[in-house]
Amino acid sequence: MLRFILRRVLSAIPSLFGLLVFTFLLIRIVPADPAAALAGDNATPQQIDAIRHEYGFDRPIAEQLVRYIAQVFRFNFGESQYSHRPVGLDIRQRLPATLELTFGSLLFATLVGVPLGVVAGVHHNRWPDFVLRLFSITGLAVAAFWFAIMLQLLFSMQLDWLPLRGRTGTGMVMPPEVTGSLLVDSLIAGRLDSFWDALRHLVLPVATLSLGALASIARFTRSGVLETMQKDFVLYERAVGYPRRRLIWIYVLRNSVIAAVSQIGLLFGALIAGAVVVESIYDWPGIGNYTVQAILTADYKVMLAVTVLIGVIYTIVNILTDLVHGLLDPRLWEQL
Amino acid sequence: MHISRREFGVLAAAALAFRDHSASAAASDPSVFVTGMDLPANLDPAQILDVQSTQLALNVYDNLYRYEGNPAKMQPWLATDHTVSADGLIWDFKLHQGVKFHDGSELTAEDVVYSYQRVLAIGRAPAAPLQPILKPDSVTAPDRNTVRFALGQAYGPFLAMIPLVAIVNPRVIKPNEENGDWGAKWLASNEAGSGAYKLMPASYVPLEKADFEKYDDHFMGWTDNPQAIKKIEWRPAKVTSTRVLALLNGTLDMTDSFLPVDQVERIEKSSNAHVAKNVTMRLLVIRMNNTKPPFDNINARKAFAHAFNYTGFIEEIVKGNAVRDPVPIPNNIWGFPKDIAGYDFDLKKAKAYFDKAVSEGAPMKRPIQMHVQQPLEQTVQASQLFQSDLTTVGIDLKLVNDTFANLVSIATKAETTPDMWIHWVSAYYLDPDNWIGQMYDSRFHGTWKASCWYKNPQVDDLLRKARFTTDQEDRAPLYEQAAKVIVADSPDIWIYNMVEVCGVSNRVQGFRHCPVGSGGEVRWMHLAS
Repeated sequence: MLRFILRRVLSAIPSLFGLLVFTFLLIRIVPADPAAALAGDNATPQQIDAIRHEYGFDRPIAEQLVRYIAQVFRFNFGESQYSHRPVGLDIRQRLPATLELTFGSLLFATLVGVPLGVVAGVHHNRWPDFVLRLFSITGLAVAAFWFAIMLQLLFSMQLDWLPLRGRTGTGMVMPPEVTGSLLVDSLIAGRLDSFWDALRHLVLPVATLSLGALASIARFTRSGVLETMQKDFVLYERAVGYPRRRLIWIYVLRNSVIAAVSQIGLLFGALIAGAVVVESIYDWPGIGNYTVQAILTADYKVMLAVTVLIGVIYTIVNILTDLVHGLLDPRLWEQL
Repeated sequence: MHISRREFGVLAAAALAFRDHSASAAASDPSVFVTGMDLPANLDPAQILDVQSTQLALNVYDNLYRYEGNPAKMQPWLATDHTVSADGLIWDFKLHQGVKFHDGSELTAEDVVYSYQRVLAIGRAPAAPLQPILKPDSVTAPDRNTVRFALGQAYGPFLAMIPLVAIVNPRVIKPNEENGDWGAKWLASNEAGSGAYKLMPASYVPLEKADFEKYDDHFMGWTDNPQAIKKIEWRPAKVTSTRVLALLNGTLDMTDSFLPVDQVERIEKSSNAHVAKNVTMRLLVIRMNNTKPPFDNINARKAFAHAFNYTGFIEEIVKGNAVRDPVPIPNNIWGFPKDIAGYDFDLKKAKAYFDKAVSEGAPMKRPIQMHVQQPLEQTVQASQLFQSDLTTVGIDLKLVNDTFANLVSIATKAETTPDMWIHWVSAYYLDPDNWIGQMYDSRFHGTWKASCWYKNPQVDDLLRKARFTTDQEDRAPLYEQAAKVIVADSPDIWIYNMVEVCGVSNRVQGFRHCPVGSGGEVRWMHLAS
C-alpha cells in the first residue's frame, strides 16, 4: 500500500507542475493587462506604465513564470494585488469554509445517495426505483442557482426556518479555531449554541451543492446493486436462507459501491467547482467566493494560487478514493 | 396518517426551535446598520476610486470639502472656508481647530499636506485628475491651520477635485511604511481616519466583512443626529437576489443602487423596505472603437446611433428609472447643452446611414463584437435590445461576456479595445471634466474613459481651454460647444442619466442621497425601533 501511495504522490507532482505552468500562461497570455485593472478608474497611461513596472508585468513572460515558480516552491503565492495581503493567508482564512461545505456535501450525498441507490436497486422497476429515477434526473438537470433561490424562498423567507446567507449568525461568537470547521471546533469547545448556529447555516448550501452529487451516487449505487444481485453468491446465500437485510446491506452493498466510490473522487472536483456558485449565492466565505472576486478584479495571483490549490486537493482526494477502493476490494491493489 | 397530540407538540417545538432567530437579530437592534454593498478591494482611499471606496471614505475619513445632497453641493467640511488669489493660482484652506483623528491626535495642516502628497506619490486612480496640476511640493502648510495649494496654472476643476482626497493620519501610517510605500500595504487592511465611524480592525476580512463603530469625538459632533447609528456591519451580498431577499427579511438595511427592474418591483411590494429613487450623475454609454472599421466611418457610427431604442429601453426595460441624456454630460450639471436633441431611434435613418457607409467602403457586414459586463444585468439587457434592432438594419452584433476589470485592461490599446462595449461613467468629482473632459480629450487615450479613441483637435482645444479657465460662466459655453461638436461626430452612443434605485429598509431614517457615494454616508441616518 505504501508503494502505491508513493507512486501516486510522485505521479501527481508533474501533473501539478503542468497545471501551474498552464494556468500561468493562460492567465498571462490573454490580452488583459492586470496593471490597468489595478490602476483603477481615472488612471492615466503613465500611471498604468508605472504600475506595470512596479509589479514586473513589463518583464518577459518566461522570466515572470520562472520567478513565480521559484516563489511557489517556497510556498509563497505572492500577495493579492488589491488587498496587499499574502494570498496564502487569505486562502488559509477561507479554505476551511470551503472544505466544510464540500466535505459536508459529499458526506450528505454519500450517506443519503448510497442507501437510496440500494433501495432503488433492490426494488428494481417498482415505485421506489421510479421515484429515484425521477429524483436523479431532476437532481442532475436542475441548475444550482435556481435551486438555491427556491430553497432560500421556502426555508428562509416563507418558513423562516433557516438563515438566508452567511456562515454564522449576527452576534454569534464562534469558539477558538482548532480545525477551521465551525462544527468540529464547536464540539471540541463543547459549545452547542455555536454548533447549532453553524449547522443551520450549513443546511441550505449543503442541500444545494450536494443535489447533483447525491443523484449521481444514487444512480451508480443502483446500477452496482442491480449487477451484484445477479451474482451467484447472492443466489446461493438467498437459497441457504441467509437473512435478506444482512445480505443486501453488507455483502451486496460492499460489492456494489466500488463504482460509486470511484465516482465520489470525480464528484469532488465538481463539488469544488460548484462551490463557486453556491458560495456566491449564500455569501459563504470560502475560496469560491474569493475566486469570483479575483476574476472580477483580475487579481491573477489569487486566481493562480486557487487553481493550484484546487488541483492539490483534487489529487489528494483521488488518492484517498483509490485507497478506499483498494480496501473495499483488495484485488484492486495490484491493478492500481 | 394519525399524529397524536404529543407528537404534534414535539413537531411544533422542533419547528419553533428551527425558526431563524438569528436572522432577525440585526433588524431588531436599533443601533446596528447592516449594508450589503460590496466592500472595496482594499481600504486605502489613495489606492482605489470607485463607488464602494467612496462610500468607505465618506464614513471613515474626512475631506477639506465634501459633496452633500442632491443636487450635490460642495460644502466646507474639515476646512471652514477657502480663499483663492485673483490669478487662480494660490488656494488657501483654513481648517477647523481641535479636530481629532481616531487615535486621539490632532489633525493639522501638515497632515493634510501629507495626505495630498501621499495620493500623488502612490499614483493610483484618485491621483489621476490631480496630477496634471499638482506636484508634491505645491501643497504646503503656512501655519498649523492653513493648507496652501500653489498651482502652476489656473485650473477650472481644481476645487471640484478637493473632495477626492481623504485626509489620513501620518502618525499611524509612518510606523507601518515598508520600502517607502507610504504605508500602502498596511493601510490596505487598516484605517487612519478622523471620520464619523472607525474600523474595528479585528472584524475585517477582505471582501467579506468589516465592522465600524461610531466615533463619538467626530469633529462635527452628533447633536444633529442624537440617535445616530452606533455600529455599521458591512456584509456584502454577492448576488443581487440574495441581497434583495436579505433586505426583505430584515437582515440587511441597504442594497446597492444597480438593482434590476424585477428586484425593484419586488421591493416596492414589500411592507418592510422601500426603493429610494434619485436622479444621479451616472451615464450609460455604448462605446465604439473609432479606430476600427467600420467605426472609423462617421456614417457607420450614425447608423448605430439611430438603431438604439432609447425610449423603449428607458420606459420598458428600466421602467423609467433613467432620464434620456443624449450627450456625454449629465443633464443636471452646469455645462449641459440644452439645445441638443441627440440621436433618436429611427431604423429608417439607421438603414440610410448604413447604405451610405457601405457605399463609402465601410465593412458594415462584418460581425461586430460588443462586450457586456457580467454580472451587471442592465448592460446585457441593453445589448440584447440593441442586437435585435441592429439585425433588422442588417448588422450582425455578437455579444461577449466580460468583466469590468478586463475591459479596463484591454482598453489601454486601440488594437485590443473591443469594437463596442457598454459601461457607466459615475460621479467622482462634480465637474463636466469628469465626463466629457476625460472621455473625449485625446490626452486620456489609453484609459477606459477615453476608450472610443476619438480624436478631434478642435475638441481637444475646447476641453483643455475649459480645464484651464477658472470662471464657471466662461467654462460652461466651452463644454456646450465641445458637446455639440462631439455629438455631431457621433463617436459613442449616449443612452441615459441614471435614476439610482437603492433598496432601503423602512427602519432606516435620514437616508440622504448624493451622486458622490450613492447615499452611503451613514452619519445622517438613524434606525427606527
